[in-house]
Amino acid sequence: MNVFFASIGFGLVSAAVLAIASVGFTLQFAVTNVLNLAYTAVMTASAYAAYALNVRGVTIWAAALAAMLMGALLSLFLNRVVYTPFQRRRASPIALVIVALGMTLIIEYGTQAVAGPTNVSYAMSQGANVGIGSFQLSVAELAIIGLSVVLMLGVHVLIRFTRLGKAMRATAANRDLARSSGIRTDRIVTVTWLITGALCGLAGAVFGMNAGTFGATSTDIFLVLILAAVFLGGPGEPYGAMLGALVIGLGTEVSAAFIVSDYKDVIAFVALLAMLALRPNGLLGARA
Amino acid sequence: MSADRGVQGLPLHAEEITAGYGGSPIVHGISISVEPGEVVSIVGPNGSGKSTFLKSLVGLVEIHSGTVTVGDREVTGWPPENVARIGLGYVPQVDDVFAPLTVRENLEMGGYLLRSAEIPARLEHVLELFPQLARMLRRRAAKLSGGERKMLAMGRALMLEPALIVLDEPTANLAPAVARSVLTEHVRRLALTGASVLIVEQRAKAVLEISDRTYVLGGGRVLMEGTPAELRTSAAFVDSFLGGGQRAAAPAAE
Amino acid sequence: MAYYVTTLLVYGGVDAIACLALSQQFGVGGVTNFAFIVFQAAGAYAAAVLSLPSDSANGAFQTYVGGLSLPFPLPLLGAMVAGGLLALPFAVLVGKRLRGDFAAVGLLVTAVMANLLVTNYRPFLNGDAGLALVPAPFQSRINPQSSAYQWGYGAVAVVLALLTYLFVNRVTESPYGRSLRAMRDNDVVADALGKNLTSLRTSMLVLGGAIAGLSGGVLVGFINLWDPAAWGYAESIVLFAAVIIGGLGNHRGAILGAVLVPLGFLEASRYIPDTFGGPGLVPALQWVAVGLVIVLFLWFRPQGILPERRRAIAGTSGREPDDAPPVGRIAVPRGVARPAGKPEIVLEARGLVRSFEGVRAVDGVSVSFQQGRLTGLIGPNGAGKSTLLGMLAGTMPASEGAVLYRGEDVTRAPAYRRARSGLIRTFQLASEFRRLTVIENLLSAVPDQKGDSLRGALRGRRYWGSQERLAIARAETMLERFGLTAYADTYAADLSGGQRRLVEIMRALMAEPQVLLLDEPMAGVHPQLAHQIGELLLGLCADGITIVMVEHELAIMDEFADPVVVMADGRVLAEGPMAALRAREEVVEAYLVG
Repeated sequence: MNVFFASIGFGLVSAAVLAIASVGFTLQFAVTNVLNLAYTAVMTASAYAAYALNVRGVTIWAAALAAMLMGALLSLFLNRVVYTPFQRRRASPIALVIVALGMTLIIEYGTQAVAGPTNVSYAMSQGANVGIGSFQLSVAELAIIGLSVVLMLGVHVLIRFTRLGKAMRATAANRDLARSSGIRTDRIVTVTWLITGALCGLAGAVFGMNAGTFGATSTDIFLVLILAAVFLGGPGEPYGAMLGALVIGLGTEVSAAFIVSDYKDVIAFVALLAMLALRPNGLLGARA
Repeated sequence: MSADRGVQGLPLHAEEITAGYGGSPIVHGISISVEPGEVVSIVGPNGSGKSTFLKSLVGLVEIHSGTVTVGDREVTGWPPENVARIGLGYVPQVDDVFAPLTVRENLEMGGYLLRSAEIPARLEHVLELFPQLARMLRRRAAKLSGGERKMLAMGRALMLEPALIVLDEPTANLAPAVARSVLTEHVRRLALTGASVLIVEQRAKAVLEISDRTYVLGGGRVLMEGTPAELRTSAAFVDSFLGGGQRAAAPAAE
Repeated sequence: MAYYVTTLLVYGGVDAIACLALSQQFGVGGVTNFAFIVFQAAGAYAAAVLSLPSDSANGAFQTYVGGLSLPFPLPLLGAMVAGGLLALPFAVLVGKRLRGDFAAVGLLVTAVMANLLVTNYRPFLNGDAGLALVPAPFQSRINPQSSAYQWGYGAVAVVLALLTYLFVNRVTESPYGRSLRAMRDNDVVADALGKNLTSLRTSMLVLGGAIAGLSGGVLVGFINLWDPAAWGYAESIVLFAAVIIGGLGNHRGAILGAVLVPLGFLEASRYIPDTFGGPGLVPALQWVAVGLVIVLFLWFRPQGILPERRRAIAGTSGREPDDAPPVGRIAVPRGVARPAGKPEIVLEARGLVRSFEGVRAVDGVSVSFQQGRLTGLIGPNGAGKSTLLGMLAGTMPASEGAVLYRGEDVTRAPAYRRARSGLIRTFQLASEFRRLTVIENLLSAVPDQKGDSLRGALRGRRYWGSQERLAIARAETMLERFGLTAYADTYAADLSGGQRRLVEIMRALMAEPQVLLLDEPMAGVHPQLAHQIGELLLGLCADGITIVMVEHELAIMDEFADPVVVMADGRVLAEGPMAALRAREEVVEAYLVG
């Protein structure tokens, strides 16, 4: 039982980081119809940026902001300079996947070239433990969960209540009709990638801080988790991504308590394959 | 129903439009005009290029040559978001609503360019025109029936109070009875607002009943033009639908 | 220095073998298998455990299954078997109608997960430490460190690469290879022309898997170790990069890509002093360079350095231009079968319904088509004509009702099976095989070709050559009758719209049809030529072929079709000669009312 509660705690933290990342990923797919497989590479680059500043004395919060900036700019670059030109040329979805993989190599190993091949470690205290009985979380972990909840609420408010958010949903639902309604969809897409890029960067920074130690390729497995969360909820559905993140985050950690922890991520893999095979539009999406 | 002359209809003049996707054009040298407040229809057999022509007017298909003037502005090749801003409302044939959004959200999207203070009034106005929609505001557009969807599509376009309304086969895929009511009631109502209406239709006979003038397209070109009275009595008119007239000279796609 | 050259030879050979496998699977067959690296790894692991002695004999510091200590060449054969067998479950996944990028993601993730599983499960393959001390072949007889052994191994690697090249070439340059390329270019149409897509894709996966396994086996015998780091995320991408850069669909391009990318990149870095920029900079920059090259190539030269060759085969049949026999004789040289049961009705629809997302595109259609007649199918837009054709041909499933062909119920039969028994359809929109020439398009439809199976292809040109020459002669005659002889060796995609329509019709005729379902065959065709085609079709009917033709040009119906069936709103409205239909009120209404 103790282990179970402890794993729920880990699961919530994992879900929190995953939620920030997955919502960004799925919104990018929603407005542009491209699976940005270079997403975790951008997370890595942003994580390193945050670390580099933090190690030089910048506070965690400022470093996180820097990571968001890095994420936003890199993501905008990816959309404007790489994906959109290929899409204009009517490149096949497979070609775009290969392009995304190529960009992954460039960004991840470019980061490694700059930062060096050894893993880096955050020497930061996690803070005191807070909790009841065996359900214990450090202050840092609580902060991550709190941050994630705030961001999810923010995304909810954005897409449900703001003009921009509604324009994003319209653009995602039917781009031509959105344009015929007077929406400048190009601008909406740009803003979407900036916002989701910031989320991506933040997710990277938090991932790094939570992991403690990380390297240029640490986020590769994380991509599987993001994809599992996204496809569980349905590609392009932000609420689905939040739900998926919760399920995958909790599922992997809780299962780790019962099966050998090295394989916890296999749960995500199985979930992803199952969704692709049975319900590619996700649990919240329309029947394929 | 009282005539609600809310807008000053805009005229539309398309001169010698040649347009198509990529390399080979689908429509050749089409000239069509709509005078302020007129209801003009475009009919023709399958593959005659009607839909492509309409899409070229609103900026969704590339115009190779020719000019389009709305009011006193030349809008040839303008992207759809700019065309919407000068008072042109477009109702496409397919993908005509935001499927995952609710009816209310669809209408609000239609009014995207309005100031938020203006939206409630426009919403009320559109719901007066389409009372059935008022009962379905919370329903997702994907769950509407064919006829309800088409009304929503038209309602969305009307939120900006367009002075020129362009409709692409509004009765496509609708049951004959529903189709009839869409044309005779709703489209006619659009005209009564004072807007100019340009409508492409497959159901030639039905649309003739509500048109001031009609163009017949075939093979990407204008074959004939006239008032409904003139066309109904023309043997050439019936012929153009049942073959024996022009052959498709170029691969045309709808 | 000698070590360096021999190492290059072995790595070059291994990379070439792997790239050739990918080239065959992806470049020729169009099967995008982003988990490809797993097959190479499976082969390496299989060869390793088959040649390793039991783990206790090695001091028990690594744990693994197997340990059979088998001599060369058994581990290598085991590697191929492992690669081939592993491919079978993938064949199940690949067939699904999933978006290209979704499927790619599923496969990529599979590769990542496989790596994770092997890394973490020690007892299977020694986890992330991998397997070391893998015996080199014949190491008890010749010292593996000796110069002679090294050169020998290098030579063997190159020879195996060469043999692989000859093998995949033999498969690709055959009627079977042509079917693969057709499937790659347009799988729906290939299916409708009689190609069993599942069988083709499975073969490609298993073949590619086996050859990839071979490459792994050869490599592990040389470097004597293998661990999960050797087949990670980035390594998967490198092989795809190699094939794309070298040239997709060209096996020589695959070899070139293998030399340039895995070999070239990795080796070029040797010449950069390690102190440059600090440790780890050069390897990282290598990967950046690989990524950059991938993106730049896909932008500037997606066809690769050595693009797929255009195969020019017109004129190789040895045929003498002679009095061209009537097209009917060319189309069905073996004559037309008479249907069982009621002698006149060869194709029948009974209560066919097609319901999708609440819309009934076809709403209870019952119609029968008589042998040797040209039946027209007309109706306004959205009447359900193409849908009906699709259900008759099997390219679209029927929600309710039955299709009877020659008296047999074929409602559940897949399209390719119906095509093989003579029920052939054409398509409304562009459906030529783009990267096949016009004559190749025609040849792809020829049924019962000896060379159109893997076994047949492997038996070589001597086996299928003469039959192919006959087929070419037939195709050339067909081209002559349609006036397109000059375009025989042109890529089908480069023809005008009307010409492509003709290729579509000719290709359907090459399939030896008993019943032809034509979907707007005259669209975009010059009126004069349309008339000639009409005459041609009537000629086919005289020879016993049954034709159902959907058309918008109602004047064509006047001349050639009898009877004509009118559809509207998913149902049959009327049937009869065109002239009579024109006079009928409800038909005119349907067209004008829509």
